[in-house]
Amino acid sequence: MTEEHHKKSSEQIPAPAVKPAGDELDAAGKSLSEALGMSFIILKVIMVVLIVAFLASGFETVGSNEQALVLRFGKIRGVGEQRLLGPGPHWILPYPIDEIVKIPVETTVSLSIDSFWYQESPEEKLSGQRRPARPDIPLDPKLDGYCLTRSERAVEAAPQGDGSDGSDYNIVHTRWQLTYQIADPERFFRNVYVRDIRPGDVYFSVITGQEGVKPLLESLLQDAVVTAMVNYTIDEAISSQDRIPRHVQRLLQEKLDRIQSGIRAVSIQLTASEPPAQVRDVFEASTKASQRSQTTITEARTYAGNTLSEAAGPVAEELFKSLHDPTVNEQTKEFLWSQLAGTAREKIAEARAYRTEVVETARANADYLDRLLPEYRRYPKLVLQRIYLDYIERILNSADEKFVIQTAEGAKGTELRVLLNRDASLKPKASQQQTAQKQEQQNQ
Amino acid sequence: MKNVAIAIFVALIVITLGLYLVCFQVRETESCLVTTFGRPTRAITEPGVYFKWPFPIQQIHPFDSRMHVFEPTPEETTTAGGEPIIVSTYVVWRIAEPLEFFNAIKTVNKAEDELLRSRIRNTQNNVIGRHYFSDFVNSDPAKIKFEQIQSEMLADLQQSIAAAKFGIEIRTLGIRQLKISKDVSTVVFERMKAERDRRAQDIITQGNAEAIKIRTEAKSKSDELIAAAEARAKVIRGEGDAEAAKHYKTLEANPELAMLLRNLEALQKILENRTTFVTPMDVEPFSLLKGMPDIDPNSPKK
Repeated sequence: MTEEHHKKSSEQIPAPAVKPAGDELDAAGKSLSEALGMSFIILKVIMVVLIVAFLASGFETVGSNEQALVLRFGKIRGVGEQRLLGPGPHWILPYPIDEIVKIPVETTVSLSIDSFWYQESPEEKLSGQRRPARPDIPLDPKLDGYCLTRSERAVEAAPQGDGSDGSDYNIVHTRWQLTYQIADPERFFRNVYVRDIRPGDVYFSVITGQEGVKPLLESLLQDAVVTAMVNYTIDEAISSQDRIPRHVQRLLQEKLDRIQSGIRAVSIQLTASEPPAQVRDVFEASTKASQRSQTTITEARTYAGNTLSEAAGPVAEELFKSLHDPTVNEQTKEFLWSQLAGTAREKIAEARAYRTEVVETARANADYLDRLLPEYRRYPKLVLQRIYLDYIERILNSADEKFVIQTAEGAKGTELRVLLNRDASLKPKASQQQTAQKQEQQNQ
Repeated sequence: MKNVAIAIFVALIVITLGLYLVCFQVRETESCLVTTFGRPTRAITEPGVYFKWPFPIQQIHPFDSRMHVFEPTPEETTTAGGEPIIVSTYVVWRIAEPLEFFNAIKTVNKAEDELLRSRIRNTQNNVIGRHYFSDFVNSDPAKIKFEQIQSEMLADLQQSIAAAKFGIEIRTLGIRQLKISKDVSTVVFERMKAERDRRAQDIITQGNAEAIKIRTEAKSKSDELIAAAEARAKVIRGEGDAEAAKHYKTLEANPELAMLLRNLEALQKILENRTTFVTPMDVEPFSLLKGMPDIDPNSPKK
């Protein structure tokens, strides 16, 4: 645009310059000369304005999320830090000497890839529902996307070995999302193809679009995903472990750096992963099996807890450990024993009761003898008889039946039979308490 | 004065216009080829300002030197083991030598269609044909040579492109999709099902085993605890017995009497319940049943 004006002015300038060379200064000539002078002044003003406009066209504003490179005659201007212009207004020499290239560095951009997902019709995409299981239709490699994952190691899965050569693999559908940003504007500008900006373009969407960085990133990301996924099992992929996206990110960054793209992968997310619809049933069954197995284990744990606390109360576990741990000191052990509950506590309580009883009885007996002895020494016969008869009296009082039998003189071999009335309900007690039966043969 | 200024100005404009005819810029993102009467004479890869003869004599052909991505359509290949595999690759390439590129192909689209496509296919068949499927995916991660395969392909392609002198530089090559044919996918699904079923069985068996282990452990723990408690109980009983024994000393004053008392007590205890008592009449005090005893109040016997 500016050049055009220059051209125009270069044609116009000589005309007024030539005219005053003639020296006929009549009235008409004078007025003409004045008019020409006027237009000459106007032209000069226009020229000055144009020059100012030309220089002012060098003012550029770099947005807050951008950094800019200046190309002087096509080559990046400056050295080191100075090569990059930060946000704010800048003045550069006007075109065609300098040219500014603004690169959005601060903005992070998201890129989703569906190329590892099964083909979805537009209706399915809109409804957001999962495709129903269809066990018999194979996956079409032209339409459906998926990743291959490794099988579990033979030793992990089947200790007996099923004779495979290790090339078993699984199929899993995944969806990914990449967030990236331009980290090195210079490398990015120099190496990554972005089509020229045409009037009416939104600069940012050209850079990130189909004719910008998108195809490159999609390819590299898919590459990273495929490369990473073969190292994981399908279970790891489905459980959406963090380390798979991290692995993908690492691989992607390596690739981006290798081609000097100046792009940084900020984050990668595995947004969805599921087994193919063809095998979904068995996967669900296997999930159920895990749950069932968990339930069984939980039940067993509950049982274990109950058994232990029945046996020894809440300190059971700790006490058990202390029994097998020689480093636990006696004090702790005693403390634990004092906290005992349950069956074990009963046992000890019984023993304590026994101890008290035995000791008390012994003391009582001793005391009794102590007191009795002086009396006994004085009247041995009487004291003895009193005691003896006391006991006999008590014994006879508690007897259910009493038979006092007159000894027949000289009746040798006489037999006495007593029918003992056994009470069936008392039988169990018989084993604990000795039932004494005194049967006397008259003649023996 | 005025004239001088104008003259300088005109001269400036003429020079500018002249420079436009004989100068050209090579941008950072380009490389240029200068042709003289249609014959390529100079290749420029460094950015900056260069001179040339005006139009009919010399002409400028700029080439974008940035990276292009080319994704050929996926094709089925066979591995060394004969398994079919569908590998989709992509190639990142750029024009490195404008002269060679100009001589060989001239345009980006032609380069991709005529040159890269067939060579990538060759490379793919070569390299994949050297490897077994188990090099791509393996249950043992240590045996996976995926990245190695990719770098082999890159080296192979770089070599064949360099040998052809097309002025193209292959920056990188990678596999973006790894797929299997329809028929194979059916087989894979069968195997996945079988494997899952077996896993489910394993999980249940393991769960049961674990549960049994937990139960047994708890049982033996509680048994052990009770045994330990019993041992302590025994000690306590022993203490009791020992303490009781201390009082036996007192009994030693008259062991006979002590023994008698003890026997009587035992007798009473033993005969406490369910006793049928049969006794002859000769024994005291039953002898009283026979009649009045003969007692002399004045002279008791002994």
